[in-house]
Amino acid sequence: MKMTRKEFLQTAAVVAGAIALPGTAASAPLARQRGMDEGFPASERKGPKRGVSIYSYEHEFNVSATLEDCLMELSDLATPGTKIGLEVLANAHVKNYPHPSTAWIDDWYKMLDRYDIIPVEYGHWVDTKLYSETQTIDTKEGVEMLIADIKLASRLGFTRARTKVGMQGGASIAVQTPADNFFEIIKGALETAQKHNVRMLTEIHVPTSLKGPTMDKYMDFITKENTNPWFALNIDFSVFQTRMGPQLGDHQASATGGQAPHAPPSWMGKLPLAVPEDMIPLIPYIHCCHAKFNDMTDACEETTIPYPEVIKVLVDHGYNGYMMSEYEGIDKLQGGAWPAVRKQHVMMKRLLGEA
Amino acid sequence: MLEMEAVQQRGFRNVYRDGQCIGFQIAYRSTYYRGISLSLSKGFRVLVDGEQFPPEAITIAYEGETYTQDEMAKAGHVQWNLDEPVILNIAKPGGLKLGVHEVTVNWSHRISYIGTMPGVPEQTPAAEAGGPGPTGATLEFGGGNNTRKLVLVR
Repeated sequence: MKMTRKEFLQTAAVVAGAIALPGTAASAPLARQRGMDEGFPASERKGPKRGVSIYSYEHEFNVSATLEDCLMELSDLATPGTKIGLEVLANAHVKNYPHPSTAWIDDWYKMLDRYDIIPVEYGHWVDTKLYSETQTIDTKEGVEMLIADIKLASRLGFTRARTKVGMQGGASIAVQTPADNFFEIIKGALETAQKHNVRMLTEIHVPTSLKGPTMDKYMDFITKENTNPWFALNIDFSVFQTRMGPQLGDHQASATGGQAPHAPPSWMGKLPLAVPEDMIPLIPYIHCCHAKFNDMTDACEETTIPYPEVIKVLVDHGYNGYMMSEYEGIDKLQGGAWPAVRKQHVMMKRLLGEA
Repeated sequence: MLEMEAVQQRGFRNVYRDGQCIGFQIAYRSTYYRGISLSLSKGFRVLVDGEQFPPEAITIAYEGETYTQDEMAKAGHVQWNLDEPVILNIAKPGGLKLGVHEVTVNWSHRISYIGTMPGVPEQTPAAEAGGPGPTGATLEFGGGNNTRKLVLVR
């Protein structure tokens, strides 16, 4: 299919923006470098920016919403003249994952341009439990899977990957520990990540706190091996949750004749797991956030997570990345995600001084 | 487009070979929020009108290939994408009668990024004859037992 000159230039601009110069991680001190290349085009605005993970629309995806419907929805959230950030889940939203056709990829870039979207984070998994609950896959197989995902993420224009490698349980429900070969698998892909300008980010999410044994393991590895930004952090705002709301008990309840959410809230541990100030020393390592939320009032305030305090810390301490909406309210099962994400973006616009 | 429920009505029919009715098929869509490798499945069980079918009676067809449950457990590099249901073929000589049937499909899958929680059952047991089966398993993301009344016409 022949591209028009306009289409070619649009594609080239997106690709050029994605292939920025690698950061000087090898020699940079650990303190925040204001000029550290975040991998976005030079014209990107400073400060925290808004985005959406279309995981939020999981209940309708493939049933009453196509990928294009989701992207169209996002364009209703973008401030005129700017782009809205996008997160996809590779295994859900990339047609014929892991081998999308070149025709699909051409169409992908056309949609990003049409709907004012910048691809930010590519959610993917290294399924260490591929063949067994107790025995992880070989490190070599894990590295191959990870490298394939980094290359696909880069091909689709993403500069971050929300990389989920396997975990193993701890003595209590609240302790989730990286699997035995977690860090070996990551090490095997660091060079590829840097070459393709894709930052592998491990997500800090309930029941993991910003301070504790699991966080220590991540930071030990990141600092000893000097991996920032090619392996670094994504903070999910669920860690700041102060009270339960009308939210999914685990990630999903079946609305389809199956059973209701059954994981007890006690698996989350004692709330809150962390306070926004806990992010301050971590800002140099945070290259994306998940704007997790559970419940929006019609006044566009969130009732379970202290958004004003969270966003203030990000603004005051020089966070220049995106915040990707992830809705987990229980009304997600009755079409609630669409208005909820809109209300959350009204709230975030106000907190960012955009409205 | 797919139907909202995990157990699809579209695709529900008897299966014939050489003029003989050898069983029936049910299309099942994953309601997990992402596609997974087939090998992450813990296996399918099917209950129809109180009749429990043994796991060996079920094969799984996806994108032109048919897998036994054992073969599916090894299919680490076959992606079950969300926009395609699997077709469960259930062996039953003579098939199902025309009309309304109560169909339960039990399915679950491993989750690599959550360490096993002590003391919590790993999987909802398959529905037994006479009821939808007990709950209590961990994190099945819409799997477990899914029951739906389906109408068979052929």
